[in-house]
Amino acid sequence: MTSYDTNALRGLVQSDRVHKDFYINPDVFDIEMERIFGRIWLFVGHTSQVSNNGDYLTTTVARQPVIMSRDRDGKVHVMFNRCTHRGSQVCLEQFGNTKRFECPYHAWVFNNDGSFAGAPYPKGYADGFLDKEKLDLVKLPRMEIYRGFVFVSLSKDVPDIDDFLGPMKDHIDAFCDRSPEGEVEACAGVFRYRYDGNWKLQMENQTDVYHIMFTHVSTTDEDGKQFRREGAEEDEAGKVKVLAKNSRLDDQWEEHPLGGHRHGHVYMGRFAMDKKNSGPVYDRYKASMEKAYGDQAEENMTVRTHNSIFYPNWSIQHLTQHIRVMNPISVDCTENIIIPLKLKGAPEEMWHAALRSNNNSHSPSGMVMSDDMEVWVRCHEGLKTQSTDWVILARGMNEKFSGDNTGSYESHGTSESGARNQQLAWVDYMCGQG
Amino acid sequence: MPAINSWPGSIICVAKAETETNAVLAEVEKYLYREVRLLDERRFEEWTDLFAEDGYYWVPAYPNQTDPYKAVSIFFDDRQVMRTRLSRLDHLNIHAQKPPSRTVHIVSNIEIDEKHDVEGEILVHSTLQMMEFRLDKQTHYGGRAQHLLLKTDDGFMLKWKRVDLINCDGVFEPLAIPF
Repeated sequence: MTSYDTNALRGLVQSDRVHKDFYINPDVFDIEMERIFGRIWLFVGHTSQVSNNGDYLTTTVARQPVIMSRDRDGKVHVMFNRCTHRGSQVCLEQFGNTKRFECPYHAWVFNNDGSFAGAPYPKGYADGFLDKEKLDLVKLPRMEIYRGFVFVSLSKDVPDIDDFLGPMKDHIDAFCDRSPEGEVEACAGVFRYRYDGNWKLQMENQTDVYHIMFTHVSTTDEDGKQFRREGAEEDEAGKVKVLAKNSRLDDQWEEHPLGGHRHGHVYMGRFAMDKKNSGPVYDRYKASMEKAYGDQAEENMTVRTHNSIFYPNWSIQHLTQHIRVMNPISVDCTENIIIPLKLKGAPEEMWHAALRSNNNSHSPSGMVMSDDMEVWVRCHEGLKTQSTDWVILARGMNEKFSGDNTGSYESHGTSESGARNQQLAWVDYMCGQG
Repeated sequence: MPAINSWPGSIICVAKAETETNAVLAEVEKYLYREVRLLDERRFEEWTDLFAEDGYYWVPAYPNQTDPYKAVSIFFDDRQVMRTRLSRLDHLNIHAQKPPSRTVHIVSNIEIDEKHDVEGEILVHSTLQMMEFRLDKQTHYGGRAQHLLLKTDDGFMLKWKRVDLINCDGVFEPLAIPF
């Protein structure tokens, strides 16, 4: 048994601060794996990553190796990557296409829907044993697909996905509806990288407007302008002013919209300084959107949120056009998977620009991610000291929240309200109110 | 960006340097050694200036890529992105490089591609390693490199440099210095 009972866990999170053990204690991490990652909906991948029948990919869900596959009838499955005989992983390729998975140990064979297809020398088993025993690759207890986003749960007993996502479903819709075909496509592979720090440091960072102009100051030129992130035709014209020339905390940041919902989901609004695209490519995009959506086109084309951060560990980055998954490996190691998304039916030039933007900002050499990762690693190391036990997240405690009784709220600026909302959900899950 | 024409079919295209004159090979070697030395000496502006105006530097994130617009890339920099990236390395507050990485690049197995028969161009295959040291950690990268050199009156100019790392689709820690 661990030393953390419910009261001790509850004591780690106070209204304006959290205890360092929240980030660095391995026992706390083990409880998180069980009570958070083991009990709620987790994002595993997008159906377009296995677009053809027989396609598969391998990944991990809460540290457990899984296979996501599309069977010969086009149905998507997510199953544990574990032979039902002696336990070997049956597939180690990152992705591919196959009719069957064959275990390397004794050549037990499974169809691409996970069903058991046979074992060599069946006469060695008692009559009917192989038929009676449940030998299919074991599916994850629950799976749901919403607009191509595949969710799984490690527990059968999980709240309804609609209830879990709540108003965040609109954020998935908003992203997909920017495509003239209403679909996004993960067709460019993924980036993978890791940092030596706790997963929550990154989750909190994604909702942190306060750090942008300091952590990322080296990505701006003398005028405080940053290279453009959104797929644009002319980079120079579309540069974004991240810093005002002579003031570091410009009003534009304090007005920045933030918000969140119950279950720990949060979002950042669109940056005021992000300009809309213009030019001939954009005009073609607009025409195809108008054809598809009529009067609704302008609304659908407007990117209203910079990012949407889904508890516990994934986000949609609307402007840079990717899904980000933060897979906890251990209390002090986190692996990121970056999955760029194409807006199906939009001009190819826009996709090329988005792809290049992802290369520049969020590849392993990405100019934005690398400074963030440096900071998380330094935080994790610093938190190990006996200097002080508490991490202060009091910024914006003095602001007036506009909230409702469903747990949704709107906030703004450089407030740390997003991290606090995630921490409230953490307490609920860890202490049994989830 | 320039249109990507056709990449040589295989990156392991073996060429016979023997048939080239030793003089050209020596010149190419000298150029490649200097090219990576500029990176090790942090002479980033001079390194960028090796590239033609429409030149680019490409490190694919998957093996056997033929088109940088078909999949993500670890680096796919035209000169504008190169300038942004490399001038950032001299920024006083580039936290990911405080303290900065020290690197040593090792180029070897240099071969001139005999099949590449375009007037004024030399396609070079080599193996490339980079040792990087930062914060008590030493990391070793390795892969195959290709350089497309343009012959000019002032010597060679780089049309493109491509590096295929053996761990290109692996899990990375942050990278700052080009390979």
